Amino acid sequence: MGKVRPKKHAPFTDMTAMTDVAFLLLTFFIMTATFKSNDAEINTPTSISQIKVPDDKIMVISIDKDGKVYFGVDAQPVRVAMLDNIAQTKGITFTDLERNKFALQTSFGIPLNQLKPWLNMSKDQMNEVKQPGIPVDSTGTSELADWVYAARKADPMLRIALKGDNLAKFPVFKDVLANLQSQNINKFNLITGSEAAPAGFASEETTEE
Amino acid sequence: MAAIEESGGGGKDDGKVRGKKVSTRVDMTPMVDLGFLLITFFMLATTMSKPTSMTLAVPDKNDDKEQAQSEPLRASKVLTLFMGGDDEVYYLDGIAADDDAAAEKLGTTKYGYDLRTVIFTSQKRINSQNPKDEKGNDAFVVVIKPTPASTYKNMVDVLDEMAITKSKRYALVDNLTDSEKKVLGDKISTPEK
Repeated sequence: MGKVRPKKHAPFTDMTAMTDVAFLLLTFFIMTATFKSNDAEINTPTSISQIKVPDDKIMVISIDKDGKVYFGVDAQPVRVAMLDNIAQTKGITFTDLERNKFALQTSFGIPLNQLKPWLNMSKDQMNEVKQPGIPVDSTGTSELADWVYAARKADPMLRIALKGDNLAKFPVFKDVLANLQSQNINKFNLITGSEAAPAGFASEETTEE
Repeated sequence: MAAIEESGGGGKDDGKVRGKKVSTRVDMTPMVDLGFLLITFFMLATTMSKPTSMTLAVPDKNDDKEQAQSEPLRASKVLTLFMGGDDEVYYLDGIAADDDAAAEKLGTTKYGYDLRTVIFTSQKRINSQNPKDEKGNDAFVVVIKPTPASTYKNMVDVLDEMAITKSKRYALVDNLTDSEKKVLGDKISTPEK
């Protein structure tokens, strides 16, 4: 009883500094976050180009490695307007629920005649469906052209970006090109990853005499 | 910061009733846990490297008239690149495909450094032999011919090579002439799988 024991203290680390760092990093990541979209997996080739892809007002035509074509527009209101446009020209009516669901799709590869059944599925089912890709052919008047037209009608300021997979074959790209050129779209962006320029390469600005 | 003793006031028994000093220390451990959990989530959910883009401008299909007026390219000023399958590039340097010697002169190279060397050599040779035109453009022209066997990556690679070698005048032509088909032979046939 009379023994004096040293008081047992639980080892206590001061966490304040750690919290500070953790939340600083957290803030940074939240601010810089641009979320990965659940699009088809596309590995883009790399280029030495330094131009960044614009964040907004952009439509992306993606070509995956099997040559399937996907289409997506960034802003949700534009997506709805686009769907309305295409519904009008094709004589299909979409319910409000379908339109709302469509507005959530960052990119899709569903032919027009399968679009309505697809939009009526539950969210899980929608993700599980193997998207067959938007029909594209070399005539320049395929469904892709209709979508591009509908999107441009919804927002004329939209820029067009092409995102192709490394393994996508050239003929598919050629068909996509034909669809764009049939609407007099002759300038667009190719989305690529960035890559270091070879040693000794100086960009245009610095070498201009 | 040393830990604050929690036993405030207990030791001295001088009769006075003091309010027990409550420690102001908050256990931050769960907060840190949460913080790092969120950090992990955001780190995994973000794409850090923003994709870049290269601009591609293709000539208008409708203004054939304008094209017809420009003079035809002289084969001696042109490097023709054929993008074949399996990441091969075939090239004809300053020679037309209908030339008898074309089949012998057809070179094969790979993307990247090898192709760059080919372009630079050809560019140097053609620009030194031919004067600049009246607009001050170099005489050197690259004609890029993708074949059905080539991939999208191949095309981006070649366009990138144009930027690296600063070849300003290049054309993307996607149909092969009969003589070109003859020269290339079975090199460009799509492998049937």
